[in-house]
Amino acid sequence: MKEVHHKGHGNEHHKGHGRTYKYGMVIDLDKCTGCGACMVACMAENNLPFRKDNTNDRLTQNFWMRVYKISNGRPFPDSEICYIPRPCQHCEGYDHHHHTPCVSVCPATATDYSHETGIVSQIYTRCFGCRYCMAACPYHVRVFNWWDPKWPKGMNKYLNPDVSVRMRGVVEKCSFCYHRLQRARNKAYVEGRREVHEDEYQTACTQACPAGAVTFGDLINPKHKVYKLKDSPYAFRLLEKLGTNPKVYYVSTKDWVRKAGKVFLGNEGRG
Amino acid sequence: MDRRTFLEILVGSTAGAGAGFMLTPVNWKLMDDVTIWTQEVWPDFFAGIPERGEVTHANSVCNLCPGGCGITVRKVADRATKIEGRRGYPVNDGGICILGAAGLQLLYGPWRVPSPLRRVGKPGSGKFEKISWEEAISEVVRKLSVLRRKGKAHTVASILGSDRGTVPNLFARFLKAYGSPNFICTTSAEDTSELALKLMQGGKASAGYDLERANFILSFGSGLIEGWGSPVRVIKAHSLWRSGNLRKRATVVQIEPRLSNTAAKADNWYPVNPGTEAALALGLAHVIIRESLYNIYFIRNHTSGFEDWTDSAGNTHMGFKRLVLTEYTPDAVSRTTGIAAKKIVKLARAFARARRPLAVWGRGKGSVSGSLYECMAVHALNALVGNINKPGGVSVRPEIATHTWPRVYQDATALAGFSRSRIDGANTNRYPLTKYLPDRWPQIISRKEAGTIQALFVHDADPYYTTLDTSAVAKAFEQIPFVVSFSSYLDETAFHSDLILPNHHYLERWEDLPTPIGLQKPMLSLLRPVVSPQFDTRHVGDVLMTIARSLGGAVANAFPWRNYKALLKETMGDKWSTMKKTGYVEEADYQPPIWKDAFATRSRRFEFYTTALKRAGMKRNKDLDYLPHYEPITPEGDSETYPLTLIPYELIRLADGAIGNPPFCTKAVEMTELKGNDIFVEINPKTAGDYGLAKGRYAMLETPKGKAKVLVHLSEGIMPGLIGMPKGLGHAGYDGYLAGKGVNVNSLMGVVEDPISGLCATWGIQAKLTSV
Amino acid sequence: MRFFAKFSELDSALIPKGVKRCSFQCFLVWIGILHIPLMVGVVATLMCWGLALNVTYLNNNFPFGLWIAADLGVIALGAGAFFTGFLRYIVKIDELKNIVNFAVVVGVICYAAAQGILGVDIGQPLRGWFIFWHANVHSMLTEVAFCITCYFMVLCIEYFPLILENRRIYKFGFPHGVAHHLHETMPTIAAIGVFLSFFHQGSLGGVPGVLYGRPFAFREGFLVWPWTFFLFILSAIACGPCFTILITWITEKFARKRLVKRNVIDILAKISGRMLALYLILKTIDTLYWVKVAGDVGSPFRSFYANQPYGYWVLVMELGILGVIPAIILLSTKARQNENLLILACLLNCAGIFMNRWIMTVQTLAVPVMSFDKFISYHPNWVEYASTLLWLWLGAIFISLTYRYLPIFPQEKELNPY
Repeated sequence: MKEVHHKGHGNEHHKGHGRTYKYGMVIDLDKCTGCGACMVACMAENNLPFRKDNTNDRLTQNFWMRVYKISNGRPFPDSEICYIPRPCQHCEGYDHHHHTPCVSVCPATATDYSHETGIVSQIYTRCFGCRYCMAACPYHVRVFNWWDPKWPKGMNKYLNPDVSVRMRGVVEKCSFCYHRLQRARNKAYVEGRREVHEDEYQTACTQACPAGAVTFGDLINPKHKVYKLKDSPYAFRLLEKLGTNPKVYYVSTKDWVRKAGKVFLGNEGRG
Repeated sequence: MDRRTFLEILVGSTAGAGAGFMLTPVNWKLMDDVTIWTQEVWPDFFAGIPERGEVTHANSVCNLCPGGCGITVRKVADRATKIEGRRGYPVNDGGICILGAAGLQLLYGPWRVPSPLRRVGKPGSGKFEKISWEEAISEVVRKLSVLRRKGKAHTVASILGSDRGTVPNLFARFLKAYGSPNFICTTSAEDTSELALKLMQGGKASAGYDLERANFILSFGSGLIEGWGSPVRVIKAHSLWRSGNLRKRATVVQIEPRLSNTAAKADNWYPVNPGTEAALALGLAHVIIRESLYNIYFIRNHTSGFEDWTDSAGNTHMGFKRLVLTEYTPDAVSRTTGIAAKKIVKLARAFARARRPLAVWGRGKGSVSGSLYECMAVHALNALVGNINKPGGVSVRPEIATHTWPRVYQDATALAGFSRSRIDGANTNRYPLTKYLPDRWPQIISRKEAGTIQALFVHDADPYYTTLDTSAVAKAFEQIPFVVSFSSYLDETAFHSDLILPNHHYLERWEDLPTPIGLQKPMLSLLRPVVSPQFDTRHVGDVLMTIARSLGGAVANAFPWRNYKALLKETMGDKWSTMKKTGYVEEADYQPPIWKDAFATRSRRFEFYTTALKRAGMKRNKDLDYLPHYEPITPEGDSETYPLTLIPYELIRLADGAIGNPPFCTKAVEMTELKGNDIFVEINPKTAGDYGLAKGRYAMLETPKGKAKVLVHLSEGIMPGLIGMPKGLGHAGYDGYLAGKGVNVNSLMGVVEDPISGLCATWGIQAKLTSV
Repeated sequence: MRFFAKFSELDSALIPKGVKRCSFQCFLVWIGILHIPLMVGVVATLMCWGLALNVTYLNNNFPFGLWIAADLGVIALGAGAFFTGFLRYIVKIDELKNIVNFAVVVGVICYAAAQGILGVDIGQPLRGWFIFWHANVHSMLTEVAFCITCYFMVLCIEYFPLILENRRIYKFGFPHGVAHHLHETMPTIAAIGVFLSFFHQGSLGGVPGVLYGRPFAFREGFLVWPWTFFLFILSAIACGPCFTILITWITEKFARKRLVKRNVIDILAKISGRMLALYLILKTIDTLYWVKVAGDVGSPFRSFYANQPYGYWVLVMELGILGVIPAIILLSTKARQNENLLILACLLNCAGIFMNRWIMTVQTLAVPVMSFDKFISYHPNWVEYASTLLWLWLGAIFISLTYRYLPIFPQEKELNPY
């Protein structure tokens, strides 16, 4: 592995003539209370299935946004806990890995990195469920539909028509609520605008977070809140050293949290 | 042609046809069809994807907890598809909690009561038949008429989740006109806090906490981010404490024996011996007084009972100062609480020297009423630093006045019944200050002979699940011949009812909601239908009025309104139009009274020595009884048999009150709390070592009240010797998405009464844990 | 009974001339026995298709499990077909003509198994063809899919003349001509097979090797190919012939007679041993380099082996017991001429390749990447085992039929005169 240059997002110039965006997130872990509202807001927005026997089990249950509970591993009473909400990191990859880890491996082109928005998409109707992308993602962002998604009688009424219901046997993941961007763009188009305002396109988790810990926007637009927030001296990204170049930044003033997030230490860390 | 040749030709031609077929477009078409089938037909078969339609938004208020957040419901045609926090709403400004976000699962779930139901099987068998509304109402009327005719009007009782707003008042009015004093509401820490305010400050008001402006928050076990108060509002305040320059941020100190989320996010966590929080508060008071760190101006001019004092008869009484200085030295408190004396001194100094310190009280989400003296001790800390009715402090907050209803005319039967003493013992000589004692009546009626309660109405509450010592509740229910539930869901109480008259769901009905709990400014908000009723349900207000009308006479006359909506409109008076337009009215410019006018006690001062309690005639004569002090609430069970202590803990991801946890929220519950149908208890690895328990293994948890099979989770976040167990599991009602998951911790606990209020002050119970 | 007699007659008519086969009844019983476990596999497969993949122990942490490891494994084992073909037709080691047919049979089974298992493994088998239709050329898996499919066709073409050589069919002029023609073109077909095989064996190595989000599997490499690309080719070449030897030996045991001369076997074993030795040297260099690189970016080598069942023993087992030992046996003329030792070496070598493929897929997923990930272990359940082993039984039936009716062992008559 070559030396990774941690340039992140911010110094890039807008390439070509079309306006490009790099939608991303900054999550303030000092503010996050681990309440889980983001998870449920995401499930409700994106028609995620649920089961009778489910709890927060990432092995079998589908989460697009999942809150991890991590501990500093010290004994009572010095133990500390931090919560880390983890949406899809929408990795951009650096020059020497000029690809998103999961996108390049998909044999059927069912997932793509949009150079226009910076969003990693997933086409459920094209995916045939080989799960190679899941193996490629170190963040466990991608989940598989091990079951047919079933809703109890009557409960299908709350399904969101903007998001397709996934069939069994396909991989799914957080889309940064891409359907909301489409809606916002349509609205802007109808109103004769070319730009979508910052507050017109917000993900469901950002909107729901009671703590206001999640900030969403265009990482390369100086007018957006995330532009400044990501440059906080306390900001870091998960597994920075791997060179995935994720677009989700975290902020924590606690050293042990930053350390736990940035590096991979096999299982020397604690869960 | 012989057979062999024939066979060969057959095989050959089949192979040829097969190969030929592969070259035709038919197979491409088939592949395409199969693809479409897997992409559209198959998922639709399971999910039943509904039609599209016009997207609209409707505003209302969430009433799944007393938090009262504004919500915006996104609709597609008449389907509600998503609940979001309402932007610009004074309480939550766009944020929403996990339960609120899952509200649509409650609306559309299979746990709804589809129509009036009558029990047909044995009590508790859960076998019901659908009946018409007319039939259901006439059955209630028949039962009530007979009771009234027999002079047993007082044996009708109601249990409600709250006594504020038009619907609870309708119930109270109904019972008054009918002739029963037994209007009972479930209680919470709010009841104790109101009582403490009443005793120390006088008057009837709720406490409002200016969390946003406080910069040193000292929490005595309050689960500030676990759902204490109005959850979204408190979490928002928490974010304010965590904003801006590191050095300027607010300090949060959490005092509790378990590393809850609040403790985890706090700047400092003091794991205190459970139940000794009052001692710690007084220990802090000791340091503050000894080092003269208190607000001398406030103490001197606006408080009484701080120094020793002499009454009109010439008797000298002990003041708060002497009590605290003699009894609560850091060393003594350290021995009780397990917190080092040095740390107590340091914390007291930091608290008193902070610009806007605030001490908050109410264990966990505040669902248990708790100890009155403990609440007073914590409130005394606020008084010492003079943050009463000040920015960043605690203030009194009245309710917005609404149009009063005409007086109830009680006929002779009503008068006779209404004057009988209450079944729960509240408002009697023993407990003169307490309004309701919902945790007492089950024991009372299961002890007494049958007939104490002949009919019970339950609305907005699930006492069968939430009351401690569930088996006593079950016995009490067996004694009641007629239980009527107004629940929208098939909860435990509904399950054990004789008749269910389902109310509209909160997204289907009109109702007024009082000020969200803990807010400083009075507010009145309007619950309004977001979708049309999904089932054959009726508004509880309308049902109650129909029953009253059918009973005739004075009972009918007490309800002159056409229907509930007319009543609501009339009650809201001039506020109705604003409420209908914006969804709420708020006294945005409300300021709590200045110190000179703030106190309605007899001395017109803040009373450390509460004379109101003395006057209440509690037959207590020690000075200590009227001062905030540490009086241990001893958990049930002997420590020989039960060497460990079980403490229930609350999670924001797990609704533990009258509302069952929706599947989405259960999906968010950690694997170290619930796994399949098994509940985990949390213990320190040291405890596990002492008692031979292993991580992830089954164990038998036993308390004087019952036993349960649990899984063991080891955590460095809990004090050795304690067993933590999440609240909100072990439901029997609802359906497979909730029923049978884990154990109801309430069934393992008993009620320990507060000596003054009689309210439930249980914080734990002795227990033993053995591996199986 | 008359019906049975007719079939029995047909059976004896199909058996090659000059060789002895067991009775038709005996043969039917043998095939019948094989159908018992086969049916279990069929049930398991139908469960996966009918009830979705929750019937397995696969989960979101282990999207790859036994199936993918088995897939990688059988393709490596099937490398005997292309490599023997390469040696026979291109290097022109003439003795190998006596085993090349059987190597092709084994290859057909292995590649059919690989595709069959994949058909159960993917979540939407009905859309499996999207891998060709919507191919992503950057994906190693696309390369694998195309090459495997093409190579499977090549194997079928190689197998086809064997059918035509059946006594009954060979009589006819046309099949005779076709068979003859195909034999003429065999070197070309073998060359195509070699080319395809090189690519997909390598691409299978690329499958884990390109996962730069997984430091355990990721390798740098040459152009677009990570080092695992080359290691996989080499290891497949090293074990493929051993697998052919192993299956030949098993067939001989069942047939209760020699079918291939020892010198032929010995050539394969010798070449296999040399390849294995070369592989082990390169693999050791790769491992050492990987230890250094992984450590440089903060993933200490020891963390990869911190959790059982994936302790250091894995390394010792894979490279030592299942690597060095068979290599020594195969390199030593004396040792490999001892039949027991030779078979032991083949067994160890094949187990080693399977273990390597398991490590590269399953251990890759088991090793935690984020510091707060918990280590999770995986073991397959009966559905996975049964649907994988299904191909073992199918293979046994296929070999039984082929052996009974087609002249695949040219030396059989010579070795077993009537």
